[in-house]
Amino acid sequence: MSAGTDTVSDGPPRGRPRPVEGGSTTAHDLAVRHRLLLVLSGLLTLSLFLSYEGVHGDANPLRTSSAPAVLSIDTALYALGQAERDAGAATPTSDFQKQISVAAQSVAAAAGDDVGGASGRQALQTVAALITVYAVKVQQAQLQPEGDVLRQAYLSYATSILSDPGSGILARLKVLQEQQRAAVHRQTSFGPLLWSGWAATLLLALALAGCLLETQLFLRRRFRRRYNRGLLAAGALLAAGLAVTLLFTVWTHAGMTDTRRLLDRPLAGRQLTDAGRATAAYLADTGLRASAAGWILIGGILVMALAETGLRRHIDEYRFRPR
Amino acid sequence: MRGRARTVTVVASCLVLLAAAVVLGVRALGREPTVTLLANWTGDDERNLRQAVIEPFERKYHVHVDYQGSSAESQVLGADVEAGTPPDVVVLTGPGELADYAGQKQLQPLDGLIPREDFGASWATPLADGHVYWFPLKADLKSIVWYPAGTSEAERRRARDDPAQWCVGMGSGATSGWPGTDWIEDILLQQHGPGVYQSWAGGRLSWRSPQVRRAWTTWGRLMGAGTSSSLLRRTLQTGYAEASAPVTATPRGCTLEHQASFIRTQSTAWNQVDGRYAPSSELIPGSTADDSWEVSGDLVALLHTTPQARQLIRYLSSPTAQRAWATAESAFSVDTRAQPTTTGPTWHHTLATTLLSPSATHCFDASDAMPPTIRDAFAEAAIDYLAHPGHLDSLLTTLDTLRQAPGQTWLPAVCDRVP
Repeated sequence: MSAGTDTVSDGPPRGRPRPVEGGSTTAHDLAVRHRLLLVLSGLLTLSLFLSYEGVHGDANPLRTSSAPAVLSIDTALYALGQAERDAGAATPTSDFQKQISVAAQSVAAAAGDDVGGASGRQALQTVAALITVYAVKVQQAQLQPEGDVLRQAYLSYATSILSDPGSGILARLKVLQEQQRAAVHRQTSFGPLLWSGWAATLLLALALAGCLLETQLFLRRRFRRRYNRGLLAAGALLAAGLAVTLLFTVWTHAGMTDTRRLLDRPLAGRQLTDAGRATAAYLADTGLRASAAGWILIGGILVMALAETGLRRHIDEYRFRPR
Repeated sequence: MRGRARTVTVVASCLVLLAAAVVLGVRALGREPTVTLLANWTGDDERNLRQAVIEPFERKYHVHVDYQGSSAESQVLGADVEAGTPPDVVVLTGPGELADYAGQKQLQPLDGLIPREDFGASWATPLADGHVYWFPLKADLKSIVWYPAGTSEAERRRARDDPAQWCVGMGSGATSGWPGTDWIEDILLQQHGPGVYQSWAGGRLSWRSPQVRRAWTTWGRLMGAGTSSSLLRRTLQTGYAEASAPVTATPRGCTLEHQASFIRTQSTAWNQVDGRYAPSSELIPGSTADDSWEVSGDLVALLHTTPQARQLIRYLSSPTAQRAWATAESAFSVDTRAQPTTTGPTWHHTLATTLLSPSATHCFDASDAMPPTIRDAFAEAAIDYLAHPGHLDSLLTTLDTLRQAPGQTWLPAVCDRVP
């Protein structure tokens, strides 16, 4: 970026900043910097917004849907395993009823978490209906006298409803669990697209910072003003905004990664309760941080407005200077 | 100042619009019209359905089909309907259950959507309100007994009188017991003819009538009910799909299976021994009916009218889908436009001919035609009876009490003709 060759008095006529041969380049240089600052600010705002959304946009569904759904399905699987253990009891037991109730509630909770959209909801309704049928078959078995062949028959029907490969309750829940784990992985991964987005954002931020600094130096040389307040404020806003968004992103992504690590393990019994609490802690405040995305757009507009304000006075000086 | 404000406004607006467009655009991607389908096919059947029917439909119409298959289909459908989120399209084996839903105004009429005349009156029957609510996707013949190729008629008769020679499995998850109901229905049809059968299936003949009682006791004798506990255990705890496995053992664990036509291709055992069939009337003691066949079908109904659901109904009733599904399952379509070629095994061709024969009497599976409560109680009673034949009186009394309960929808006719 050339610093120009002449004093402020040689500006070209309004609207046409291109210098004539041997004339002043100041107006043209101002216009170039003005446009460059606006374009870089716009691109940076867009890039930062999309990159930020790419991470934080997944935090909310992870916190409110996928992570609780994985835990709900884990709970249902564990409760059904316990129920199967109690199903062989001589008489109907409260433990069996309790486990069936836990499994049914967990499936309902997973449905409430909107697992897998319409298809997942339909699959969970199927599982809920199968749990009812399973409980009825176990109760029919328990109503038969000990040693009666009917007792064994009804238990075998119940077991097939629970454990048939592919179509049993457990198989269906495991498919849903895999889908939800895959969703958690998708939501918590920092893939090539996000890396590219953030790399582009940082490069644009560096370019904008460099451009602001260079423009500041240019104005100091040409107009003998030590500081341009508009450009200084734009630079400060850029630095502060970038620092805050980076910090928010690091915190949120760390929470999401911890959540994924926790949910990748098979959980049972007490671990399920602990995992629920830990997940809530890892993902606390992610919603608040995600809502900051709107401020990126506002911040971008502010940076542009500050850059505009900082340069406009000098551009106008040139535009209306008497010749 | 005005220029500056305009510049900032224009750039800011463009920026916001661009960001919003990108975000919305990304979110909108991947959404496509969807239709939900509920049926009872799982495992290999589900795979066949997806490959032969669903995937070609999705490719052709760019509509995603959310398929749910479950042996507890009735319970799933009941829960879905109660929750107000029924599937768009359902395939059920029971016209009785469908009539029940039609009575509750849960089904949508198919008038104008399907070529009714191509399915025959007994398969796409208008209800009392004059509307057609279902049509068959595939059909099966049930009044048949399978045996290994090379088994003579004399050997079949000897095997008939030995309960251990019957391949029977009552297990079927949530619907366990239905192989027994098929037996009893067919015995009643073959012993007393379509008139008595239709009267019973329509709720007009008592379960305690001598005809119905005779059908139960005939079945009990054939199965050796209440005799050998090891045989009983095998019968009750074996799944219907695995019942024919002993036919391949040496010496044979069983020789005869009273099962619908679909078992010939579903069971690897019958494939291994090149299974052949005989009409059940040849083996059921006291058969008097002439050319009467119990049949069943997978019936398609529409619960939720969306353009995609109507498209799927049109597709499933087309000869293309009917033929594709029949070929994939080695099953039978009753759509006159979708009949198989004469190539293929003789047993397949004769089964297809019998299903469409205008001179034969076809009666729909009675338990499937009955209200769901009675159908389910019937299946449980069949299980109970095998273990405790002495309970027959109380079982029949219970079933008769259920029959007399008010507010149930009975089909007026289940046979295409009653001589």
